[in-house]
Amino acid sequence: MIKKLSIFILLISSLASCVAVKQYEKVNLNDPDMQLSTKKSNRFETNFQSYRESAAGANGGKTGGGCGCN
Amino acid sequence: MKKLFIIPFLFVTILGYSQNTDTTQIYKKRVLENIEIDFLTSYYAQDGDNAAVTGGIGTEKLTDFTPTIVVSIPLSDDNVLVIDAGISAYSSASSSNLDPFDAGASSQGEGTTGSPWVQSSGSSTKDNWVNGNVNYSHSADDRNTIWSANINFATEYDYTSFGFGGSFTKLFNQKNTEISIKGNVFYDTWKPEYPTEIDSYLEAGQNINSGFFRGVDILNQNGSVIDKNGSDIWSPFNTTLIENKARNTYSLSLSFSQIINKNAQFSLFFDLVQQEGWLSNPMQRVYFSDKNNYYIGNAASIPNYTSPENTDVFQLADDIERLPSTRFKIPIGMRFNYFINETFVLRTYYRFYSDSWGVSSHTANLELPIKISGKFTLYPTYRYYTQTAADYFAPYEQLLSSQEFYSSDYDLSAFNSSQYGLGVTYTDIFTDFHLSIFGLKSIDFKYSYYKRNSGLNAGIVSLGFKFVMDK
Repeated sequence: MIKKLSIFILLISSLASCVAVKQYEKVNLNDPDMQLSTKKSNRFETNFQSYRESAAGANGGKTGGGCGCN
Repeated sequence: MKKLFIIPFLFVTILGYSQNTDTTQIYKKRVLENIEIDFLTSYYAQDGDNAAVTGGIGTEKLTDFTPTIVVSIPLSDDNVLVIDAGISAYSSASSSNLDPFDAGASSQGEGTTGSPWVQSSGSSTKDNWVNGNVNYSHSADDRNTIWSANINFATEYDYTSFGFGGSFTKLFNQKNTEISIKGNVFYDTWKPEYPTEIDSYLEAGQNINSGFFRGVDILNQNGSVIDKNGSDIWSPFNTTLIENKARNTYSLSLSFSQIINKNAQFSLFFDLVQQEGWLSNPMQRVYFSDKNNYYIGNAASIPNYTSPENTDVFQLADDIERLPSTRFKIPIGMRFNYFINETFVLRTYYRFYSDSWGVSSHTANLELPIKISGKFTLYPTYRYYTQTAADYFAPYEQLLSSQEFYSSDYDLSAFNSSQYGLGVTYTDIFTDFHLSIFGLKSIDFKYSYYKRNSGLNAGIVSLGFKFVMDK
């Protein structure tokens, strides 16, 4: 599994050499709804999901610690 | 284990040095123009039938109100300080049943009753979790390198947390590609609270004729009063409580973001998390199938013990939940956002999770922001989650005393859940509305309904206001 994951990461990283979108072409990408993160007010949902479910992390938020939850 | 760290680190290093070909001279814009303040709040309510404090059965009714403030302060063109503070005020029927007999049975004598289905009036009914976080970040002049450091603190009546961390972010390929690495450490400590019968048993010197149990009848499964000086008596299976109260968490997070074209971008998240210390919750009871059952309360209600119709008998715990002292977690997530047109944006998220306790899970989230006007956006959301059970989980009365680790916490069980949400955002880039020197930039409001196939259901309302200080 580790080998497959590493190969996947290296393949994905090759996308870094794709044609670059210029700053003045990023009008749609800069739309607030296109952000690669959740809204600040969604943190409460992420918190209760981490309390009620075993999984946490890989979303830019809490990965563990800070409370006696799972 | 070594491979897990070596390969991602090589990846980050190679890309960091080989792809920095951005030689574009750009005007240095301030990272943050003015002070911004976010007022955030939520109200959460849940209910279910599998409370962990009462061994996997009983009311899970809980409400939580959380106000939070986030203040972002530009210290200079390149540096930003973010202060984040909040309080979570919760009330929990299951936590109240840490002492189901309402603060001591001996004071009530023969009339002592309790039930996993009835909220008691004990002090553990309500509590406040208070937390604060301070984050400092610095951006290089070309805005292609950002580093940050943070400290945080949290406390509630049975738990204290102190944490710190840092991150390093590199952008290249004309800011089309971003790689970030983040590390966090939490040094947490239990101030343990135990089920009242176990705590009191030890306080009374393991004598069920004194202390909490004086004058209180203990019943067997048939509803007969036991002879407290006989051989058929209740006692906790394991009288060893928490010796090392530490609960530490170490996490390393890697993320990779890439713009695909003018309308699409994605990101990958990969975390490694190691937890050590007392990872069980000392409040949570377990009941063994190979141990006799003992009760306090109304004998006539014993046959209905697992039904909400039982309001006046409580089963004494066999032990508290016991789980391994280490846990290793690997979540891997991916986001993909696509700008369909001026009205619709598609936001997607998927996560795979696996840990050393035997839990693996899948999460999938869909969001479809719909711009209904220049200032208003509606966003319906759907989230699906499924997980396998931890190796140490079993429902009420299905654990064995021969097991080394055991839990009846349904958050560790196998289940799937669906969450439906609808939100609305109001955005005013000109901040026409003002409170003193702060202009209102946006309002977010969302309601979500969460339902688990184990019977738990919950609703949450979230509200956020963003203000920007005038120049």
